[in-house]
Amino acid sequence: MLEIKDLHAEVGGKEILKGINLTINPGEIHAIMGPNGAGKSTLSYVLSGRDGYEVTGGSVTYKGQDLLDMDPDERACSGIFLAFQYPVEIPGVASATFLKTALNAQRKFRGEEELDAMEFLKLVREKSKELDIKDDMLKRAVNVGFSGGEKKRNEVLQMSLLEPDLMLLDETDSGLDIDALKVAADGVNRLRSPERSALVITHYQRLLDYIVPDFVHVLADGKIVKSGDKSLALELEEKGYTDISAA
Amino acid sequence: MKTLSPLAQKYIDRFDSALETLPGAGDRNISTLRKSGLEKFSKLDFPNKRIEEWRFTNLASLTKGPANEDQPSTPALKHDAFKADYEVVFENGVFSKEKSRLEKLPEGVRLTSLAEELGGGAVFSLDEDDNRALIALNTAYMQDGLCLHVSENVEVPGVLAIRFVTNSSEPQNIHIRNRITLDGGAKLTLLEEHEGNGHYFVNPVTMIHLSDGAELKHYKHQNESLAAYHIALTDCEVAANASYKNFTLTHGARLSRNEMKTSILGADALSKLDGAYLLDGNQHCDTTSLTEHKVSQNVSEQVYKGVLAGKSHGVFQGKIHIFPDAQQVSGDQLSKALLLSDEAQVDCKPELEIYADDVKCSHGATSGELDEDALFYLQARGIPTDQAKKMLVAAFLGDVLEEIENDSVRQYFEVLSASWLERV
Repeated sequence: MLEIKDLHAEVGGKEILKGINLTINPGEIHAIMGPNGAGKSTLSYVLSGRDGYEVTGGSVTYKGQDLLDMDPDERACSGIFLAFQYPVEIPGVASATFLKTALNAQRKFRGEEELDAMEFLKLVREKSKELDIKDDMLKRAVNVGFSGGEKKRNEVLQMSLLEPDLMLLDETDSGLDIDALKVAADGVNRLRSPERSALVITHYQRLLDYIVPDFVHVLADGKIVKSGDKSLALELEEKGYTDISAA
Repeated sequence: MKTLSPLAQKYIDRFDSALETLPGAGDRNISTLRKSGLEKFSKLDFPNKRIEEWRFTNLASLTKGPANEDQPSTPALKHDAFKADYEVVFENGVFSKEKSRLEKLPEGVRLTSLAEELGGGAVFSLDEDDNRALIALNTAYMQDGLCLHVSENVEVPGVLAIRFVTNSSEPQNIHIRNRITLDGGAKLTLLEEHEGNGHYFVNPVTMIHLSDGAELKHYKHQNESLAAYHIALTDCEVAANASYKNFTLTHGARLSRNEMKTSILGADALSKLDGAYLLDGNQHCDTTSLTEHKVSQNVSEQVYKGVLAGKSHGVFQGKIHIFPDAQQVSGDQLSKALLLSDEAQVDCKPELEIYADDVKCSHGATSGELDEDALFYLQARGIPTDQAKKMLVAAFLGDVLEEIENDSVRQYFEVLSASWLERV
């Protein structure tokens, strides 16, 4: 599904990613762990196509296509979803309008018929209910005045509506209490399927108790320094990043 | 003697012959009034950038010679007309009885045209004005306009639309003078619309007087030809318990200016001036307001938002003047501009002049670009860049359009803004 080869990237002239290699097959969940400043968020932004993150070397192939050649909206329409570490507040745009526009943009891209207001409402109510999100949130402006937990839950709601093939979760656990974390993880787990993959970026092992990965990678100083199964996460928790990176 | 601008000289040169054809010709009082206007104008000339109030708006392209023929002369925006309950139509500045629909107007509303009034010898005690050249010129050359009087406690249901439609194959100058008077407790909702084709200069001057407890909602939609000059001056007097609520939507004209002077003359009076301007190409729009709080206990509010694309230029100058002893007054003012291109420009000059000590005033002015984070967030959900930008611009305009109390006018302005956005 996703093949990253020797990926180098700069932000503001500073090299952050220094040769990443990673292959994610359909149905797999990979976790990337690492200390602050290792390049975890940079990787998620490079994959989602944010401006200002310049790829200086290597390649990324997604479903056989050159991912780096695609615009952010094209990537999203092709099934890549980035759950933001800090979801953006957008005053003046109602959540419902935003969700409907996004969903229909993706459906249009795939040549599917757009949903009308009634169909959309039915779908969004169903998904909100699963995630314990109140209807009134849909009337409010996107993320405006939402608590940290509400924002993250809103990310998961968007994800369950858009049903991506590749989920990129950028520190989805940060700022969440344990209940909110469970709801978020639950939302992700519900989407797990043999065709759907995920890249879970996190600083702490905690999230991985709920979203159990198939592979764990340690990112330090712009490179993957160690890979293993879920036991690596526990080892990291115990020994800290310094030991692992040095090893 | 100083040299006048070519256009000013032209006005002076053809004044004597114009006097014979303008309404009220042959009436000595009216001639005297016009002459005094011309005299004043000839001393002042058109305003230039050396005058503080005109620092950011240069009329040279208008006054220095023939209109720039390179400008597209298409109307700014095609749209479905607003369905008003009553309609007054002026074609090329002249009242059209055939096109107007006034039969449903309730009793207690007197609506005539200025030409009719002047022709009948009625001399208005037109408010003489302090050195405002464009009012003096208007007095000299006024040809027609709306004279509207609503009697005490008459509440006019629905919306009265006044449409100024200009279609000119030849460059022309149109001087409109409106006079709107609401007696105590009268209520009216007005939609003033300007649109046209071709090269022309239109100079509408509107005098509004609101007596105790009167309420005027005054909406203005300016959709002049993109080759036109639109320089409007609106003066409004607001007595105790009265309210004046103005919202101006501007997206037409090569160069436009809305100059508003509101005098608050009583307690519990309200002046609320809001607006949105949407500019593209090399359009220029200037909003200049002077709000005078002359007595205690009243309120003024202003919110203006601009969206500027291309090489357009926006100007906002707002002055709140609180007179001595005008205590317990509140005056708030906010101007926000969204720049969609690197070449667009906005100049803001908020001013507070306060001579009382128990007042609450605020002003704010911001200008900025689209929020990159928000834009990326929308794109990352699959929304194409263009559509994402439009969503953000619509969101920026949303809250100022919310200030429009009349539902049908608000919806109309929302649709107009959306169609403008589709075109940019």
